Amino acid sequence: MSRIQVEGLTKRFGEVAAIDRVSLDISHGDFLVLLGPSGCGKSTLLRMIAGLIEPSGGRVLLDGRDVTFAPPRERDMAMVFQSYALYPHLTVERNIGFPLRSRRRPRAEIRQKVREVAELLDLAELLGRRPRELSGGQRQRVAVGRALVRDPGAFLMDEPLSNLDAKLRTATRGQLRALHRTLGSTIVYVTHDQVEAMTMATRVALLNAGRLEQVGTPTDVYDEPASVFVAGFLGSPAMNLIPARIESRAGRVQVLAPGVELPLWAAGDQPAREVTLGVRPEHLVLLPPASSSPASQPASQPASQPVPVPASPVFRGVVETVENLGGEEVAQCAVGGARLLARGPRPLGLRPGEPVAFDVPADRVHLFDRASGRRLVWQPASGGLPRERDHDHDSAAAAVAGAPGQVLDASTV
Amino acid sequence: MAVSTPDAPAAGDAGAPPPGQYSGGQHDGRNRDDGGNRGGGRHGGGDHGDGDHGGGRRWRRHGHRGHGGTGGPVGGRSPLSSFAGHAVLAVLSVACVFPICWMYATSLRRPGDIYDTSLLPWPLSIGSYRHAADVIPIGQMLVNTFVVASLTALGQLLTGLLAAYAFTAWRFRGQRLLYLLFVGTWLVPFQVTMVSNYTLLFRLGLLNTLAGVVIPTLCTALGVLLLRQHMESFPKEVLEAARIDGRSSWSTLWTVVVPNLRPALAALGIVLFINAWNEYFWPSMVLQQANSMIQLGLRGFLGGTEGNDWGGIMAASGLACLPIFGLYLVLQRHIVNAFVHSGLK
Repeated sequence: MSRIQVEGLTKRFGEVAAIDRVSLDISHGDFLVLLGPSGCGKSTLLRMIAGLIEPSGGRVLLDGRDVTFAPPRERDMAMVFQSYALYPHLTVERNIGFPLRSRRRPRAEIRQKVREVAELLDLAELLGRRPRELSGGQRQRVAVGRALVRDPGAFLMDEPLSNLDAKLRTATRGQLRALHRTLGSTIVYVTHDQVEAMTMATRVALLNAGRLEQVGTPTDVYDEPASVFVAGFLGSPAMNLIPARIESRAGRVQVLAPGVELPLWAAGDQPAREVTLGVRPEHLVLLPPASSSPASQPASQPASQPVPVPASPVFRGVVETVENLGGEEVAQCAVGGARLLARGPRPLGLRPGEPVAFDVPADRVHLFDRASGRRLVWQPASGGLPRERDHDHDSAAAAVAGAPGQVLDASTV
Repeated sequence: MAVSTPDAPAAGDAGAPPPGQYSGGQHDGRNRDDGGNRGGGRHGGGDHGDGDHGGGRRWRRHGHRGHGGTGGPVGGRSPLSSFAGHAVLAVLSVACVFPICWMYATSLRRPGDIYDTSLLPWPLSIGSYRHAADVIPIGQMLVNTFVVASLTALGQLLTGLLAAYAFTAWRFRGQRLLYLLFVGTWLVPFQVTMVSNYTLLFRLGLLNTLAGVVIPTLCTALGVLLLRQHMESFPKEVLEAARIDGRSSWSTLWTVVVPNLRPALAALGIVLFINAWNEYFWPSMVLQQANSMIQLGLRGFLGGTEGNDWGGIMAASGLACLPIFGLYLVLQRHIVNAFVHSGLK
């Protein structure tokens, strides 16, 4: 078990920074998933931790020891590659035993360990075969076995499931999780698949264009995305992000956009501010057609706690299409110039071309600064306006008297 | 598929196994050219089975192709161009093979019948071989040539392997330039470096030694080039896995790269060996005395006061060719592959 610290790690290829000042603290027994779109630098980061690529700046610490420029064999980390990278000329038995032979362990010990790992991974029957005679899932298990046999301080995995079919991937996800539980070892896992991240990670680190966007538990990053990027990356379909404006109107501070009218709190002066409004498709509450009465809410929305329904709906638009996902439906609606997706159990009772109105619980509303893309948080205690969480960015100017019961996101402060 | 006669698809279906992708595509193009009525003919295996479907014209064509017996892609050509192709190939092979047959035929005639022009020598005699062995130490020469060719090939393989590995596994400053220089040596004619090499050998006192023949040829751009290509196509992640698993670069080369490059190394080794075996000019410069390598030994039978000694030449040449023929018999597939892949000869 190892603790891996990454401090201000940077990798430049020519002028382009593939990884830009990334800092991470991966503690003993963490299952950290590096998540991001392709080309965001997550594999580069993993390779720098492994020692396969030398960083252009910053440090990598392993249990407090600086290993930034140490060769891989001095790091005691095992790696599982996306292509599995099995040695084509060696049998399964010799593939798994390869790291031990590199360390000149006694032959009897190697044989014993290989047997143990093979039993654990259900490879005992295949020890005499060569990689090309194995199926994808078997190859993947051999690759994991080759990592396990060393009893390493940390496992590094580079999209190890991406070459498996969907069913096998689900099964293997469960096996990896179980493996992590039994071994209790540190795992750094690279993927672009948010399902893998959400289901396996103890912590998720989201990367975008070489920069760290957010680190937190899967619940954290899903419920309180730190930036527009994170909000738009997680979830299927992802969060609705609508350009809007915070304005004072009729004695209330409101989020306004064409077809959108979201009252925040009753207050006095509030300078206008450009924001991005975020609402997850599953948090939209469908309001009955041609009715503004709050009494007759449809029972179709699971996520809706009893919330005070405003006098008028938050979103008004027209249904464009309805997609059937089997258990659920996703309705795509035009709201002003923007597109709004709503997800709920089938049937939603919506038909293309019909007008539609949605409400949203106040604690499910996310606001992001338009320019920086960072999350805005309202601090009810000080009565402040939504302000950015990062203090290095400019914070909101004016203070507004907060009205109780209209807390946007009190828990995050 | 571009088929114009209605019965052709049926004929095609009656044919046994469907043709491969490659031949299929070729046939399609051909069909359009001919304006059709050839659909049934595309399946070599179905030729006889579908005879009752077609008219006389098609049947005739099938019959023709059946006699050709070539199958595969050739089966798709028109009989005329197929015949012409075979005729050209036949002439070329006779041109290649005849001199070799004539060499062995002449070497097996009795010394008195050397100028006989019958195709088959009769009565057979090994007199020429005895004569050749009397004139030059032919066994010793064959051994020397074998040693030189083997050492040259092995040396070139080794240097090629190390250089190609360095070019593939590492990124370093000036890499492209260095590689260009390596490849560039290929473009420099032998005649340019010959004199300086000769002078160097003279200073080192290596003239008239086999080592002198071998050492200047130990590195060849061809080996570096080919092995680098093979290594580039070898998955990088496997090399990285070896590093993670605790191997040094050196150990990775021998335990991971070389075992996986064995077919390429074998093929290249054969090409290099044959090249070295056939080399005449350089050994003739370095080795002044005639009785060192078989290539030079042959020289002794030429000219002289009584003209060319044809029996001796043919016998010695025949013996000089035997090791290469033997190699070819054993490793036929590898050699063809090697030449195809190296794009040489």
